Amino acid sequence: MNDIRVMLTETAEKLFTGLATPEVVNASEQGVWAANLWQAVEAAGLPRAAVPEDLGGSGGVLGDAFAVVGVAATHSAPIPLAETVLAGWVLSSAGLAVPDGPLTVVPETRGDAIIFTPADGGGWRLTGTARHVAWARHAHHIVVVGRDGDDVRVGLVKAADCDIQTDVNLAGEPADHVGFGGVHVAASDGGAAGASVTMETLWEMGALARTVQMAGALERAFALTVRYTSERVQFGRALSKFQAVQQEIALMAGEVAAAGVAADAAVAAAEKGAATQAIAAAKARVGQAAGMVAASAHQLHGAMGFTQEHSLHHSTRRLWAWRDEYGSEGEWAEKLGSWLVAQGGDGIWPFVSGSRAGLKE
Amino acid sequence: MGIEGLRFPLADLPPETETLRAEVRDFLAEERASGGFEPHCDAWMSNWSPEFSRKLAARGWIGIMWPKKYGGQERSALERYVITEELMAAGTPVFAHWLGDRQLGPTLLNYGTEAQRELILPRIVKGEIFLAAGMSEPDAGSDLAAARTSLKRSGDGWRLNGTKVWTSAAHLADYIIVFCRTEAQDPNHRHAGLNQVLVPMTAPGIHITPIHLINGRHHFNQVVFEDVEVGDDQIIGEIGAGWKQITDELVYERSGPERYLSTFPLFVAFIDKIRRDGATAAQTAMAGRLTAQYWALRRMSLCVVSAMAAGGLPNTEAAVVKDMGTRFEKDVIDAVRSVLVARPDAGSSDDFEVRLAEAILASPGLTLRGGANAILRGVIARGLGLR
Repeated sequence: MNDIRVMLTETAEKLFTGLATPEVVNASEQGVWAANLWQAVEAAGLPRAAVPEDLGGSGGVLGDAFAVVGVAATHSAPIPLAETVLAGWVLSSAGLAVPDGPLTVVPETRGDAIIFTPADGGGWRLTGTARHVAWARHAHHIVVVGRDGDDVRVGLVKAADCDIQTDVNLAGEPADHVGFGGVHVAASDGGAAGASVTMETLWEMGALARTVQMAGALERAFALTVRYTSERVQFGRALSKFQAVQQEIALMAGEVAAAGVAADAAVAAAEKGAATQAIAAAKARVGQAAGMVAASAHQLHGAMGFTQEHSLHHSTRRLWAWRDEYGSEGEWAEKLGSWLVAQGGDGIWPFVSGSRAGLKE
Repeated sequence: MGIEGLRFPLADLPPETETLRAEVRDFLAEERASGGFEPHCDAWMSNWSPEFSRKLAARGWIGIMWPKKYGGQERSALERYVITEELMAAGTPVFAHWLGDRQLGPTLLNYGTEAQRELILPRIVKGEIFLAAGMSEPDAGSDLAAARTSLKRSGDGWRLNGTKVWTSAAHLADYIIVFCRTEAQDPNHRHAGLNQVLVPMTAPGIHITPIHLINGRHHFNQVVFEDVEVGDDQIIGEIGAGWKQITDELVYERSGPERYLSTFPLFVAFIDKIRRDGATAAQTAMAGRLTAQYWALRRMSLCVVSAMAAGGLPNTEAAVVKDMGTRFEKDVIDAVRSVLVARPDAGSSDDFEVRLAEAILASPGLTLRGGANAILRGVIARGLGLR
């Protein structure tokens, strides 16, 4: 990790430990917006760590922003940090400044399409509905990626101008439905999407964000499990002294480690561009780890971990929700598989090894 | 961030390794085209070809990390990794020189005398001699410290007595490094009194019996040492320091790409077959799912080797990668079978069916050799502070 990233993640760790407590997470699920937490995150410059300085950011790289997203997810921080990072990526690719405040991006559900129609007097009018949009009800602005004919467009709208129906995901996070019934985007608030932003790459970056978030949540589920089994005494000793328990924790450790490495490798690939297959592999692998670790964490926590009162569910419900957002393991496996089968058997090792050295192209 | 007790910082290969990788790929392409080898599952363990090993030696690809004065090239662990992963992915018959290059040479470098290093290392580099490791015994498998092969003082030297089993390639090796006891095991100090000695296979008193496996392969042996004479100059390292030496050696043994690529030739044949016959959605999804795991495992393996290249001995991380990798290479077999109906048949004209047969019959060994997986998970648990 470079120095900036170390500093950012240490700052984030302190901040979330203090302000993203289980009480704050619970309150958020009851509808309380974690205002103090968001303010502190914004004051530390975290949401726009990867946005260029002339567009309102710190000028860091994608990996810096995603590192902080991972720390936030470890703490189950109930704020749209990942979404604001995605929004920042979309806006800055189009040369648009990234505003203050919590942001979110649409569309988030496959098949939803927002149409940009040029408006008399400039700008565009948006029509369409975006389902299950993370944190829409608390966002100040919504960043929209849509189409004007064949052209991909981006636009920034005020959330207050949209029709928002509330809904939640499995983790109780806001996942609202946003209706754009002719909402106006000013000419200065929209334009052609940057070259790196298409409907497909938006989907990939969303999947990358959820992959990083799952990797973060996996660390917390694992740490809670080690702690619980070290403290809980039955039959005269701590659970962690039983071989059966040690074996299962060892298996969990492998999955959590694999997820961390896969997420890191996918982020590194995204920084270099052309990361479709790496993101597909990472989301598929990390989604698989999420299922296994969530199940084992609950099994080893016994009945206590199954309660509202214990905070394990803050992590496991997020794992279960996030693995099905921006494409499930199965969808990404099929997408990766199609690409691989087209390469043939000789193409597998070059992908796995990350190298086409020596191949006759 | 991360797991307490487990470090997997993302590692990359230096760009210079691309040249070496291209050279190895060119060599392998030529060898395949000229019939120098056929890809096989588990070839690195089951397929012995001194000729192939000598071709690698001629390229300077054995002992590449070792000091130049022994014939090595003082190249990095990451460069060695590139060579080994290309050889593994291609299913090549590298068994003859494998132990010497991977772990026995390093043991001599770390703990041996100058005379031992000069005697052995240059000839390993040239592919002139091959080595075996005498570790397991009938009563000492997972519990290696229970080894009873004894090294007793006799006049100016020593006598070696005992029985080793699962000794890979003893029947073809020139030297064997034997794990033995100078003192009977003390239950309160189980790891004391252990040593390693370097013995030429031509020494009088060595009796080798083959162990035949269910897949028809013979690479394991029983080796009986009957009053084999050993000189002081054949002792590797300090008397009584054998446990530390062998646990260091095991990190080398456990950390390589052979630990997840043994059945990769089967997966390659699977992809070729489904492409040829028109892949179904289920087959396509399985191809993606398994490739995602290969991709992640390789990155984890690279983390371990990078840590070793930086001078560390990441014991827990190596155990994680070996446990996960060997379980995965076994899981690949039933995973491909679940979406593709075929007859496992070593005599088939269909590559997939041949490799399926090889893989199935080799499968029990994948999670037993080099440390049974339940034991590895105990190592992981200890590394996590649970034991």
